[in-house]
Amino acid sequence: MSKRKMTHQPQEETMDALEAHLAGTLKRVTPSRDLVQRLQGRLQMPSRKEITLRLRDWNRLFLIFGGVMSGMLLLVTLARAFYYLVGSRPRV
Amino acid sequence: MSEQEYKEEEVLALASQGDRDAFGQLYEHYVERIFNYVYYRTGNSHDAEDLTARVFQRAMNHIVNYTDRGVPFSAWLYRIAHNLVANWHRDRSRKQEIPLDDLPILPTKGDHPERNLVRSQEEEALLRMIRKLPPERQNLLILKFVENMSNAEIGRIMGRSEGAVKSLYHRTLLALRDQLEDQNLNLEGE
Repeated sequence: MSKRKMTHQPQEETMDALEAHLAGTLKRVTPSRDLVQRLQGRLQMPSRKEITLRLRDWNRLFLIFGGVMSGMLLLVTLARAFYYLVGSRPRV
Repeated sequence: MSEQEYKEEEVLALASQGDRDAFGQLYEHYVERIFNYVYYRTGNSHDAEDLTARVFQRAMNHIVNYTDRGVPFSAWLYRIAHNLVANWHRDRSRKQEIPLDDLPILPTKGDHPERNLVRSQEEEALLRMIRKLPPERQNLLILKFVENMSNAEIGRIMGRSEGAVKSLYHRTLLALRDQLEDQNLNLEGE
């Protein structure tokens, strides 16, 4: 029991020291006010109109996606049918 | 706290409708946190600046898609930052640039420049080790020490339980300790 304590104590001390060093190293840095404002200046907010249009566009996008997928499915079905009727027939 | 949360909900609702001022408030509230996160993940302030701007630009463009499902807005922002940092690391590895191991010391709150200089070598060694950890562990350490977040708060951001965060933290410390031992670095000298 005492041996276990002996081996664990230095480990705990190392961990505590490591935590203390991490706390000392990983400190919050303060970007300058100038940098914060410069970054804000780079941001371009989309207008309300754009946002509503984008939301409506989602519906359109789903329709387009659905249409494309249906078309692809139709093509695959036709190709399979063609292969079944022509391609797989044994030659005499 | 609940009043603040309510306020954030209001601001978020306005921002998602294209209100510039509302997004400006969100930006003011989170810019320092995101900058810190990106700064420690990239290791240099120039890329941190650029990536922080991109995080908020992306957030602004997609804020209409943000839906509050019990996940805080900060978690959403950190997720964007995490993805952009991951892309940044991928691009750098493709370009095979020389890694920037020197993290320039920016002014930290309540610190004197002289103290920074004295500690910089030791800090740099530790920071190099931290940056070699898997991204998830780096995130954990940044949130814990830079943001002073509790395990529960970190769990909400990382999408893990409090227990899982605690366990990951312990394993991270063990990994760092092993690395320190491998490199014969002693931190107990203080």
